[in-house]
Amino acid sequence: MTFEHVLGLTVSGLTVGMIYALIALGYTMVYGVLQLINFAHGEVFTVGGYIAATTLIYSGVDASTPLMAKIGYFALALIISIVLTSFLGWLIERIAYRPLRKQSRITALLSAIGMSIVLQNLLVIIFGPEPVIMPTAIVPTGFVEVMGVRIRYLQIIIIGTSLLLMGILAWIVKGTRMGKAMRATSQDMEAAEMMGIETNLTISFTFIVGSALASIGGFLVAMYYGSLQYDTGFLYGLKAFTAAVLGGIGNIYGAVVGSLILGLAENWGVGLSLGLLAWLFVFGLVIGLYIQVVRAPGQRVGHIADEFRTPEYERLVRRQYQFTPVVAVKTLLSERTDALVHLSAKHAMRLMAGNIMLAAFAIVFFMNSEVQFASKWQHVISFGVLMAILMFRPSGILGDNIQEKV
Amino acid sequence: MWQGNTRKILALVLALSLAISMFGLVGCGDDDADSEETDSTGTESTMETIKIGVHTSLTGGLADYGFAAAEGLKLAAEDFSGFEIDGVTYEIELIIKDDKGEPAESPVVAQQLVDEGVVAVIGALTSGNTNAAAPIYQTAGIPLVSGSATRPDLTELGFENFFRTCLRDDLQGQAIGEWAIELGSEKVVVMDDRGDYSVALGDEVIKALEAGGAEVLRQEGQEGDVDFSAQVNNIKAFAPDAVIFTGYHREAGLLFKQLTEAGVEAQFMGGDGIKSNDIGDEAGGAANVEGTLSTFGGFAQENMPGYTAFADAFMEATGKDAGPYAENNYDALGAVVAAMELAGSTDGADIISSLSEINYDGVQGALTFDSMGDVAVPGGGGTELIPRFEYKSGVWEFMN
Amino acid sequence: MAVRERIGNMFRRAPRWTFIVTALALALIFPLLEQYGIIETLWLRLGTRTLVYVLLAVGLNLVLGETGLLHLGYVAFFAVGAYTTAILSSPRLGYHWNFWVIIALAMFLSMLFGFLIGMPTLRLRGDYLAIVTLAFGEITRMTFNNWEPVTNGPGGIPGIYPPNLFGWVVDKPGEFFYLLLAAVIVVVWLLNNLKASRIGRAWNALREDEIASHHSGVRPMQAKLLAVVLSSGVAGLAGAIFAYYQQFINPTYFLFMQSTIVVCMVVLGGMGSIPGAIMGAVVLDTTPELIRQTFTKWLPNAVGQDFLPGFQTALQQDFDRYRMLIFGIAIVLMVIFRPEGLLPNKLWRRQSHTEDPREQANTRQHLFDVEEGTQDLEA
Repeated sequence: MTFEHVLGLTVSGLTVGMIYALIALGYTMVYGVLQLINFAHGEVFTVGGYIAATTLIYSGVDASTPLMAKIGYFALALIISIVLTSFLGWLIERIAYRPLRKQSRITALLSAIGMSIVLQNLLVIIFGPEPVIMPTAIVPTGFVEVMGVRIRYLQIIIIGTSLLLMGILAWIVKGTRMGKAMRATSQDMEAAEMMGIETNLTISFTFIVGSALASIGGFLVAMYYGSLQYDTGFLYGLKAFTAAVLGGIGNIYGAVVGSLILGLAENWGVGLSLGLLAWLFVFGLVIGLYIQVVRAPGQRVGHIADEFRTPEYERLVRRQYQFTPVVAVKTLLSERTDALVHLSAKHAMRLMAGNIMLAAFAIVFFMNSEVQFASKWQHVISFGVLMAILMFRPSGILGDNIQEKV
Repeated sequence: MWQGNTRKILALVLALSLAISMFGLVGCGDDDADSEETDSTGTESTMETIKIGVHTSLTGGLADYGFAAAEGLKLAAEDFSGFEIDGVTYEIELIIKDDKGEPAESPVVAQQLVDEGVVAVIGALTSGNTNAAAPIYQTAGIPLVSGSATRPDLTELGFENFFRTCLRDDLQGQAIGEWAIELGSEKVVVMDDRGDYSVALGDEVIKALEAGGAEVLRQEGQEGDVDFSAQVNNIKAFAPDAVIFTGYHREAGLLFKQLTEAGVEAQFMGGDGIKSNDIGDEAGGAANVEGTLSTFGGFAQENMPGYTAFADAFMEATGKDAGPYAENNYDALGAVVAAMELAGSTDGADIISSLSEINYDGVQGALTFDSMGDVAVPGGGGTELIPRFEYKSGVWEFMN
Repeated sequence: MAVRERIGNMFRRAPRWTFIVTALALALIFPLLEQYGIIETLWLRLGTRTLVYVLLAVGLNLVLGETGLLHLGYVAFFAVGAYTTAILSSPRLGYHWNFWVIIALAMFLSMLFGFLIGMPTLRLRGDYLAIVTLAFGEITRMTFNNWEPVTNGPGGIPGIYPPNLFGWVVDKPGEFFYLLLAAVIVVVWLLNNLKASRIGRAWNALREDEIASHHSGVRPMQAKLLAVVLSSGVAGLAGAIFAYYQQFINPTYFLFMQSTIVVCMVVLGGMGSIPGAIMGAVVLDTTPELIRQTFTKWLPNAVGQDFLPGFQTALQQDFDRYRMLIFGIAIVLMVIFRPEGLLPNKLWRRQSHTEDPREQANTRQHLFDVEEGTQDLEA
């Protein structure tokens, strides 16, 4: 296990994670505003890539095209792709989701699955089952070599674009009137409407922005891999959804953090030896507990009014949080942040101690293991992450507690 | 009110999608997949039509293989029509059925062919679908001759009605492994796509490599994946002399592209699944896969006595190059006709029993079956029969 | 309109048992038609496959329709059942267990997996359950694909022995048809009884309003878990018989697409209605083949010439895509305009379409008076 190998895995994990992030942002925005899993979002992403690639194919761009013209074609493809894909996103919302807004979530989800099937099969019927090939002339081919690892310019572009778009999105949500309207709609649609917010417009806007992001993602993926197939988006959509849930669905930063973690997990999971994975696990536990105990959203350790701090209460809490590894894992995995509000720093330290014991156990057992997971389990890892996170901590890493259980 | 508007938009979209669908329907109507083949112009009383089933996959992931098989068989049907048994001249009518490449659809297709009353079936295209359909043909007593089901264990399952005119993947896998050793590779990566064909071939390659004393790293992707970055990093860290991908060209192109971009300098190799000229486009430019080596699961077309004529006829009939396994399918029908002539009967059981005795001279050369139903290799030959190809500036070039 | 009214009246006046008896009689006669050469064996084979789908749809209806939980990995339990049969009754590992033991084990294993999946997830919102089950479905398929020592990986397991039911060796499509029919009858009978019982009402209450039902004494977790576990068992049963029938299985039988098709069946037929689920399965599984046969065989034969050759070719080549496209459009249309399905459940009907009278009037014109007809079916 060389450093070069680990660095290589990390770089590609970050790139893949950033691609997930562009799609995950769309999921998380729609979920944040409507509490709806936009199942067709993966297909919207594919459509974006298809439109961009097809535009470039029709433009006839090749190696002999001058650079300025290439940039022009690139911009044209990007704009056409964004416009058409946004329109598609708006259309999907209009047709399949808006009539069901008052209905149960299951109904809307069923409709979303229906839309996903329709889009995927329309793609095959229109473009055929063969992959659409991106003209290579448009793709920057250069790379820099850092400590034996090749980092392509395109990878840097992907990471940069994702970060930039995330910044813009955060600004839209936090800093503009439309963002305010989105947040209001997400909190209480009826109340927002009564305050004079055009909720329909706001929701349409959300879908348009999410689809635009997906189309950029589709374009970048088509450039990065050189081609796209009609079913590429399904798996990417699922992975991105996993990432969004992992980070805390509805939370923009969460989507990015979750995507990066998932991208790294997929790469590290089948690339690193069990020994390194054990170390990472420990690292993750410490970070996880730090987030949960110290930085849990809106909560601080020891935030409990002194009048409640009766000796009985202290004893109760102490009994509940014995510092055993089992309790540590349970706490980390479960929806107990609310209980931790009442936890004193002393107890938090005890919990940490439990984690450290668990970590020591993991290290002692696996430290010298050079065994790797077979790469055939790669997807099982991501789906396993998805299942585990939904089962044990559905609010994700940065998400708020999920209050409603219906 | 939104309801009214929604309904209008909905109607519009539905109309649009229907229009698109119709456009697609009308647009792709050149090649007729399931029409009757014979004109039955012959009016003599001794003329009879004999039905041969074609169990193939015209849609789904392997549609291009299915197309090649079907077109090869159409040529064969034209060529072999008019054979005589006991003074009766037989016209061959092909009943072509599509199993969409799905094993769940395969028994249904098999049943349709049995219901049609075919005397023999050429197919199925893939080993999985052959496995799913074989019991039905077995019960109906219909011979099943495949031109492309290469999975080694197929003939070992005890279906006495099953024969194949292609070589087995264990031979091909062995050939790839030996070739890699010949090239002086000491560290080799074998990667598969977790598909039926790919894993079986990969297993055989690894056997041969280990017998040759090479150090092997096995990696796996999934069919339909586009990102192989973790595998690429593992491969790079292993620093192999050769990377062998045993899946299909789509994933192979993506993998080799990503390997090249990561700076892995190894000999890229693969089985017949990667032997498609599309691999250049799929790898983001032919330069990325220049010098890639592949083998083929059948005999060398270049050494076949009748291949040029066959390829020309194929080109004339379809306007396309003869695809993979077209000639094997042609020979499958030829073998069935030869067996009927030998048995002097068109009864399924007679054909089955005489298939193992025929000595048929086809596109691939002289062809006989061994007791298992596999092609008997002349002189018990081994891996030297497997043809080798190199990808040079956009096309696969024959090497030996 | 008179004809329509008369047909509607016929449906309305006929007592419930006439429908059941007619359906049963048709089903019982069906294999005989093949035996006497009236229909081709193909149709019997399709009919047998349809019965597998009927089992699956009826089982999924319990979760999706009755309890209102979306389950997107249903095919995973089907796979568990199928692989139980394939492993324990084939030359693969050399086992040849008794049919009844295998059926019981297949159902038990699927129920166990259903329990393990349901336990942690059922406390979540419904849409999260959908995603968890989807992930579970994919993990199950990949595990069967990767677990080579036992499942032979992607190569699948061939040569599954035919079942032996107290000396009756079932190995013909017609015999499998009767076997599956018996399974369908038993399952439908049991589920119908459950539906009418206290737990059935609890499920429906949960679907309508979880909080309210909780306060009326329903224990949500227990009731939901029971629904998930029972429906997993049905899928396991279907899978076990399916593997016997196919004699060969490999992981590509259990793609996500299969799960969505079963969801389509339940939604189309009417969520929460057993006759609806049965009808959904029958319609969705047989219509595509009927259409294909009509245009490529019967119509050309009747007209005596090729009928729209381009259209025929397209039917052959892209039919599956169009089929899925139409399924997708059907789901969207159904949930928007007729969420209660084609053969609705009484309770659903009563509560849907009450908000907008225009909507109600519109959808009532769907299909001649089947709605009124089924009122008696349910009563």
